[in-house]
Amino acid sequence: MTLSSLSAVFGEPMAWRYFAWLLEGFAVTVVLSAATCASASLLGAVLCSLKASKHRVLALPVRTMISALRNTPLLVQLFFWYFGISAFLPSAVMQWLNTPHTLDLHIVSLSFPGFEAIAAFFALTLYAGSYIAEELQAGINQVDKRQEETARALGFNRFQCFRLIILPQAIIFAWMPITGQYLNTIKNTSLAMAIGVAELSYASRQVETETFLTFQAFGVATVLYIVAVCLTEAAASRLHSKRMMRTSLPATAGSGT
Amino acid sequence: MNAAIILNNLDYVLIGAWPNGPVGGLTLTVILSVLSAISSAVIGIMLGIALSLSRGWPRKGLRIVLGFFRAIPVLMLIFWTYFLLPILAGFRPPEIATVVAALSLIGGAYLAGTVSAGIDGMAQGQWQAGYALGLRRQQILRLIILPQALRAMVPSFVNQWATLIKDTSLAYIVGVPELSFLAAQVNNRAMVYPTEIFLFVGALYWGLCVGTDRLARLLARTGQGEPVS
Repeated sequence: MTLSSLSAVFGEPMAWRYFAWLLEGFAVTVVLSAATCASASLLGAVLCSLKASKHRVLALPVRTMISALRNTPLLVQLFFWYFGISAFLPSAVMQWLNTPHTLDLHIVSLSFPGFEAIAAFFALTLYAGSYIAEELQAGINQVDKRQEETARALGFNRFQCFRLIILPQAIIFAWMPITGQYLNTIKNTSLAMAIGVAELSYASRQVETETFLTFQAFGVATVLYIVAVCLTEAAASRLHSKRMMRTSLPATAGSGT
Repeated sequence: MNAAIILNNLDYVLIGAWPNGPVGGLTLTVILSVLSAISSAVIGIMLGIALSLSRGWPRKGLRIVLGFFRAIPVLMLIFWTYFLLPILAGFRPPEIATVVAALSLIGGAYLAGTVSAGIDGMAQGQWQAGYALGLRRQQILRLIILPQALRAMVPSFVNQWATLIKDTSLAYIVGVPELSFLAAQVNNRAMVYPTEIFLFVGALYWGLCVGTDRLARLLARTGQGEPVS
């Protein structure tokens, strides 16, 4: 294929500044994904421990919340928090959130994210957190029940036992499914464009309307998503195999003999 | 809380502008879900069989293609089908078709992995027994392997369908008037009751997803009692 026939299909190569738009969008996607994964992991652990609580007052609301978060579309949740929260927050807070704030550190200036980014982060965290809680629960079920009895006999209270003995093993068992949730989170950040977060999908749509170079705009964005997903997956499975080597846990969870 | 905003727009949210216009709202969400569920199941079963029966480079190639569909966001694939389908078809297909195409490709890619794992998980002896009875490979697959493998896969299919129901909301992005789109529209018109509107719409989706799950479990339980015919 000659160069001219290539450009007949794909159009003239995209100008550098449009490529820069896509990279900026990608940076937002990466930061939003990383922040969401970190906070969703914490939330997942908290929800999971609350759900396991003997107190029904704690366990029941958490169960209901997880069911609601898992069985409704993320898009609707994003709208709910974006439009819904702003109706409840005091107007002074909304005004502060809607005006840009920058922290000037002389060399770089950090700008405080806009309200749509905060709402997206909040919604994504709740969504991913509820899935991670369920994956952790599955991991916990794989840990031998007698370990808990042993730990209690040694004087650990229920919380210590959960945090120090059950959870670390459950994380190893549930690590691959949790990785799957991290990958989903990267892909799910694309929905944040619906409430106006300028992430990668948003940027690709913007470049497309500006230049009509549809193939290139969507092509670059698609490649960037694949790169992000593949790198994350590779890093997670590397971490997993290292961890498996350090601990001497059986590859398949045992109920012990 | 203000129930009037829901009651005043109830018909619109449930069936859209129909009968004076196109079907929309919850009804369209259900239509989109059913169409994508069927076509993703067909794609998933076919590609899963292909994956299990192929060897060497065709298998590798198929794995890469499936991996591609699993690595990109549904939204991105909707952009692609929205842009590519008119070029491939030669005319502008309805937006609904672009959404169903994207959802069935992604759903099919996930299901293919499940189906293939299910087929590979069947004991090798079943194949050998089939050959010993004089059956051909295709017959063994159709008569012996698939009925057992598919029955074991019912939970995975149901999970995928629940995901599909939720993903139909992404049709919003290309302007298909399904439930989420109409909810956003009603919200933009009223502007003062976002909490009520999205809680109500969320509850509708919740009912659909949980209902599908319960129904499938029920069917699976009664199905398991039947003798293999």
